[in-house]
Amino acid sequence: MRLRSRPMLAVSASALALAVLATGCSSNGDSGNASGGKTVITVEGLPATTKPGPRQAFLDDVKRFEAANPTITIKPTDASWDAQSFAAKLAGGSAETVIQVPLTEPQGIIQRGQALDITKQVKQLPEYGKLDQHVLAEEKDTGGKLYGLPVNEYALGLVYSRAVFTKAGLDPDQPPVTWDDVRADAKKIAATGAVGFSIPTTDNFGGWMLTTMAYTRGGRMEAQQGGKWVSSVTNDATTQTLQWLSALRWDDKTTGTTSVITSTDPVQALATGKLGMSIGAPNTYTQFVTTYHGNKDDFGVSAMPQGGGNATLSGGTVAMVTAKATQQQAEAAVKWIDFEYLQPQLDPTVAVAQAKAQSAQEGAVVGLPAVPLFDQASTDQIAAAVKPYATVPVDNFTKYLTDTRKLTYVSEPPVGAQDLYHALDPVVQALLSQKNADLNAKLASAQKTINGTLQRLQP
Amino acid sequence: MSSVNQTVPLDRPSRPVGEAPAPRQPGRQPGGQRGRWRAAWGSQRRTGDWIGWLFLVPVLLVFAYFAWWPILRGLVLAVQQTNLVQPARYVGLENFQRLFADPLLPTAVRNTAWFALLSLVLGFPVPLVLSVLMNEIRRAAAVFRVLVYLPAVVPPVVSVLLWKWFYQPDTGLFNQVLGLVGLGPVRWLDSPSTAMVSIVLEAIWAGAGATVLIYLAALSSVPEELYEAAELDGASIPRRAWHVTLPQLRGVILIILLLQMLGAFQLFAEPFVFTGGGPDNSTTTVLLLVFQYAFVDGDYGGAAALSVLLAAALAILSAVYLRVTRGWTSS
Repeated sequence: MRLRSRPMLAVSASALALAVLATGCSSNGDSGNASGGKTVITVEGLPATTKPGPRQAFLDDVKRFEAANPTITIKPTDASWDAQSFAAKLAGGSAETVIQVPLTEPQGIIQRGQALDITKQVKQLPEYGKLDQHVLAEEKDTGGKLYGLPVNEYALGLVYSRAVFTKAGLDPDQPPVTWDDVRADAKKIAATGAVGFSIPTTDNFGGWMLTTMAYTRGGRMEAQQGGKWVSSVTNDATTQTLQWLSALRWDDKTTGTTSVITSTDPVQALATGKLGMSIGAPNTYTQFVTTYHGNKDDFGVSAMPQGGGNATLSGGTVAMVTAKATQQQAEAAVKWIDFEYLQPQLDPTVAVAQAKAQSAQEGAVVGLPAVPLFDQASTDQIAAAVKPYATVPVDNFTKYLTDTRKLTYVSEPPVGAQDLYHALDPVVQALLSQKNADLNAKLASAQKTINGTLQRLQP
Repeated sequence: MSSVNQTVPLDRPSRPVGEAPAPRQPGRQPGGQRGRWRAAWGSQRRTGDWIGWLFLVPVLLVFAYFAWWPILRGLVLAVQQTNLVQPARYVGLENFQRLFADPLLPTAVRNTAWFALLSLVLGFPVPLVLSVLMNEIRRAAAVFRVLVYLPAVVPPVVSVLLWKWFYQPDTGLFNQVLGLVGLGPVRWLDSPSTAMVSIVLEAIWAGAGATVLIYLAALSSVPEELYEAAELDGASIPRRAWHVTLPQLRGVILIILLLQMLGAFQLFAEPFVFTGGGPDNSTTTVLLLVFQYAFVDGDYGGAAALSVLLAAALAILSAVYLRVTRGWTSS
């Protein structure tokens, strides 16, 4: 390198570094107003390029929406919810305007101020009066403000392998309805060499499962005290649930020997005939068949077994508008959510068109039962209209549908649900890994941790 | 073409390598030869100064943006509460008070220290012994080096998932092998008493290769005459290793030990992928707790406060270590 060109090199390198850093510093978020005064929103939900059919169907929906709403421009992305990167994306201005999150997340997002209050915009929707207010409760804060709309909803139940049931001499059309029944059936299944009953225990799933099972015995994990929510995980129902699970693990030996169980482990074991029963929902079917290649006729689901509580926990997917959106964007976002997710669950014509398009794609899952977002009659009407295009064995879900309707749908713990589940994971793990674990002490310790978090979340 | 060894100081007049100096042109510069050279030197030094600083700018900017600024932000965040959307609120030492009230913190500190101890006691001698042995191997040495280094080329998460399969209680490789000789089954990751040991074993397997290469490089610099002299004195291989190799490697060993110790206290990926901190929090480490504060609880202030505490503890540990071992390298 010649001396006289060295300053030029240094200047170029410095300029390049500055340019790179400037790019890193700048926000790539949308201002919300494209040229021509249009409102621009980014939305999650676009299927990946590996699913060309559903992707095209989604893009066609975007075109139809934009044609009907010429002042709105939709920019769809195939990004999906990721709790770990969401806060950074939001802070950096690159979070989508409309995100889709599991029903376990909205309360945390609301409490952290990461979503926008869309009460006013939702109340302007013509369908607002028909929406099930119980379903909407999951997306409200303690003051009654609404921060999201349901995309779909389900109630947790018992998922099981019909093949394993048959092998164990059990009737797959008569799944257990109480926890005593589950214990008895688990013994018969274990006698065949398979694991009788198993639940996930990591990534907050252990606490989630424990909460669900406690609900079925009448327990609740949080209670109001002096206007604030405090932990009540040491209730009798939780203790009974732990004792029941402990009996299966150490007396009956029907839960397998692992204690660190991820959310997908039980589904994989069910699909491969190594497990008889777990807790899940109708949409567990998708993983069972498409990810783990289980035989679709082997998938069984029934209402949540009960222990006197006559209740189950509801789950699903919620669309929310991120906190940095403008009021104009929020209005456009709510219109989009209504168009893409609510109307197909209310208007049979739209539902049939969607089901027809989806069922033409290989591997599509059409016809899964869901908890009504509107009234039961509308849901039944949609289910009947879509049935000819169903790709799932609809009759295997009938018992789940009829029995689940008799139960009360109980929401997630109102404040810090994920923190609560996280604190309960070790309790379930301790139960499964140590025969003589002091479960009461573990619960008391979890209660202390949860109350510390709840204090922080309710200053 | 200049080689990498042909460095030219920035404050010295230079010319392209291999190029002859420009012919002097008498009479064109006043002050004679000495004066001309001095003028040229001064001018070049000034030019060289700012060019040198200009060359530094990209690196300084990158370090400032990606290292120093985040560190500074972390320190500030430790005394704030924020949701990364609304402006952050100053809370003083509240984050630290909350940390010390968390019953999980002592568990995490204990687990981290336990991992560090296990990984040093079990993991520190392995690469050292391997490298000394491999240094003695005269035939097919390259094959052994490749074999030892091979685990290091496996991405960390992949190796953890591989070992997770090895550790499966019923169908895992280790219990299958133990079963052949009538042992086990061991509940590797499924028991609080064995989970951390299981993680340490994988970490040793994954990390030993790179350390062995460093030791082998250091061993190649040990003067051959020392071994010859020891051999003439009748020293056996173990005695040569003890009296020649180890003293010659002392400096490298001390640095590796420090780096291993610092790495052990920053354990994250293995428990995160292996166990998520379970069973019953038996593998929850300090960094895993930082992650949980930030990305599970959304408590960024708490996460920053714990990170600051960890950094301070490691700085003190390193300072003490360096002070204690200061005389060892030269003695």
